[in-house]
Amino acid sequence: MDRRNFLKAGSAGLASVVLGGSGLLSWSPRAHAETLTKTLYITDGFVSMITGEDVYFKGFSNARNMLNLPGESIIVQEGDTVELTIVNTLGSNHQFDINGYNGRFTLSNGDRVRVVNIPSGGEVSFSFVAANPGSYLYLDPSNAPYNRLVGLHGGLAIMPGNSSTRLYDGSPRFVQQHFWIFNDIDPVWHNAIRNGNRPNTRYVPRYFSLNGLGGRPPGAPGAHDPNIDAITDPRSALHGHVGDRTLIRMFNVGKADQSVHAHANHMEWLTENGQVRDDVWEKDCLYLESNIGAIDAIYPFESPPDAWPPVNTGAYPMHLHTEMSQTAGGGYYMFGAMTDIYFE
Amino acid sequence: MGRRRRRTTTTEPAPTTETTTTTTSGGMDGGGGGGGGMDGGGGGMGGACYIYPNTPATPGMVTPDVSYDRSVFMNGSMRMDDGRNVPMWGFTDNFADGGMNASGSFPSPAMRMNVGDIVHTRLNVSMMNGVHTVHHHGIEPADHADGVGHVTWDVDGTYTYQWRPMSPGTYFYHCHTNTVLHAEMGMYGALIVDPPEGPGTLLSGGPTYNSEAFWVVDEIDSRWHTLNWTAGTCGADVGLNVLEPDYFVITGVDGSGSSAMNLPPISGQMRVGQKLLARYICAGYHPQEVRIPSGLNAKIYISDGRALPTPQRTTKFRAISGERYDMIIEPTQPGNYVVEFDIKDWITGNVWGTARTNVVVTA
Repeated sequence: MDRRNFLKAGSAGLASVVLGGSGLLSWSPRAHAETLTKTLYITDGFVSMITGEDVYFKGFSNARNMLNLPGESIIVQEGDTVELTIVNTLGSNHQFDINGYNGRFTLSNGDRVRVVNIPSGGEVSFSFVAANPGSYLYLDPSNAPYNRLVGLHGGLAIMPGNSSTRLYDGSPRFVQQHFWIFNDIDPVWHNAIRNGNRPNTRYVPRYFSLNGLGGRPPGAPGAHDPNIDAITDPRSALHGHVGDRTLIRMFNVGKADQSVHAHANHMEWLTENGQVRDDVWEKDCLYLESNIGAIDAIYPFESPPDAWPPVNTGAYPMHLHTEMSQTAGGGYYMFGAMTDIYFE
Repeated sequence: MGRRRRRTTTTEPAPTTETTTTTTSGGMDGGGGGGGGMDGGGGGMGGACYIYPNTPATPGMVTPDVSYDRSVFMNGSMRMDDGRNVPMWGFTDNFADGGMNASGSFPSPAMRMNVGDIVHTRLNVSMMNGVHTVHHHGIEPADHADGVGHVTWDVDGTYTYQWRPMSPGTYFYHCHTNTVLHAEMGMYGALIVDPPEGPGTLLSGGPTYNSEAFWVVDEIDSRWHTLNWTAGTCGADVGLNVLEPDYFVITGVDGSGSSAMNLPPISGQMRVGQKLLARYICAGYHPQEVRIPSGLNAKIYISDGRALPTPQRTTKFRAISGERYDMIIEPTQPGNYVVEFDIKDWITGNVWGTARTNVVVTA
């Protein structure tokens, strides 16, 4: 590979490219809607995998010299006016859309559009008023699915205007929330996309990520570094005391169906692909579809029910039970899409 | 048998198929190749990386109500319908020597207990067989009883997992060391939790049943079955990201043809007016589509060991790795009903193969 193509900030690999600006856009329970602003930069670069392989990605990033994978999660409140500016630093045209969101975006010239075009080298400002509370994926829908697969995606949550603890009216309550965005990665495809080509090879994912990272088990290079290790990445790992019910907004931007398997507690399954389920099932494995499959579920942080003697603390994994996704480069078990759950 | 307490059951435990013992034991020949590292907590043995061998005392040990002894065999094989023998590993209740000379069955022997029982699973792993764990999938105990190496330890001697199941339903247990390979190799068995009423009742206050069928559906990529227990852990590309199954099994029987037909307790045998409980486990890694003839009047009452708020009639549903569904089948007409399980590619959705069994209903 040509290291001259590395972003400066990305030259050290995942450590410096992923997290910069880990806070959420702006959300805490508010009595009134607000106007929120955010600038995203479409950037690209390489990420060094555990195997040493450097894989090409694009991202909706927080600065010109960064590569955020996925784009930083955005949490807004129903009724907020969200003003976004997207700067395309690349030599290719891109778009912005919110998957499953039926609203229109208002450009700075007043035009209302369904999808925002961001030409090569261009900068586009637009706004929308947040409605229809729920979980969404913002993404580049052009050249589908390639731009999504190569990293141009991120999570968006619209909180109900009248509740800081519910996903929707009448939903079970939660006290904290996370995004789990899963991806699978075929470096051959990523390289073709980098070169402006449509991949023409069989899709064979070799890496699997949760919020842009793979796991690094204890003793591995990068283990316990939250910028490298999905097991300890604070965007992914769950921390809570008993009773800290945690909403998880899950998306699968990859091409492989996945089984999301949690230990220590069953998950309360609230929605599937944007639809509220008739009943709340308690599941330890959830079928998360490929190609933007979406699930909302609550991890209840109840005392592990089958412990004897009873316990209220401990560490447990969440991993994909579609076990091929627990590998990297054809081996390296535990370097795939997984994280840990800490009862504190 | 390691089970200490015997209960009267109205049904047979989950079936197993005897594997053929070969003369050599499972791999301790290292492998894995380059990359990785053994720094920090990833203590290793036999060429493995990122394993965490230990055999501490069990915290809070008490006298159990039910106990299961398990060791490991890595020298089995399963004879497929085409005459080929595919290497298999598993757990055995031949405990004394840690599995050094053991043979076993696929799936591994079932565990079955009542809600509220304090259970011991005592695992003995001989040095010859590397390290392994028992993870009781869907059971949610303390972390030291969860059998996950990277948060606790991998067992390299004898360790007792202590737990107390509180929700009736169908579960399974499997090895959680290099899981991607060890579970594929067959290191799993059924785990059934009965309500206090015991077998014959699905849920307290819920439906009863006259007999059971066990549908543990899995796919096998025979290429993977040539690997050793450490394969890939140090970073060698051994292709564990690509599962291309060539066999499709249902509860340890080649299900592609007719071998799983008319074979209780895989197939159901019942009369009109009786109830059959079908316990389905999606034990493979690729997604599955389950098709149940409408004449069987199947209704799902439990999934993943939790009662559904509203039981659901079903004739077709999909499942993903690790899910379980407990269904009451109550046909009103005699017949030979074929139940099919498509194993679909996790990326393309194309059908790799289909496993089949049947439910024979007489008047």
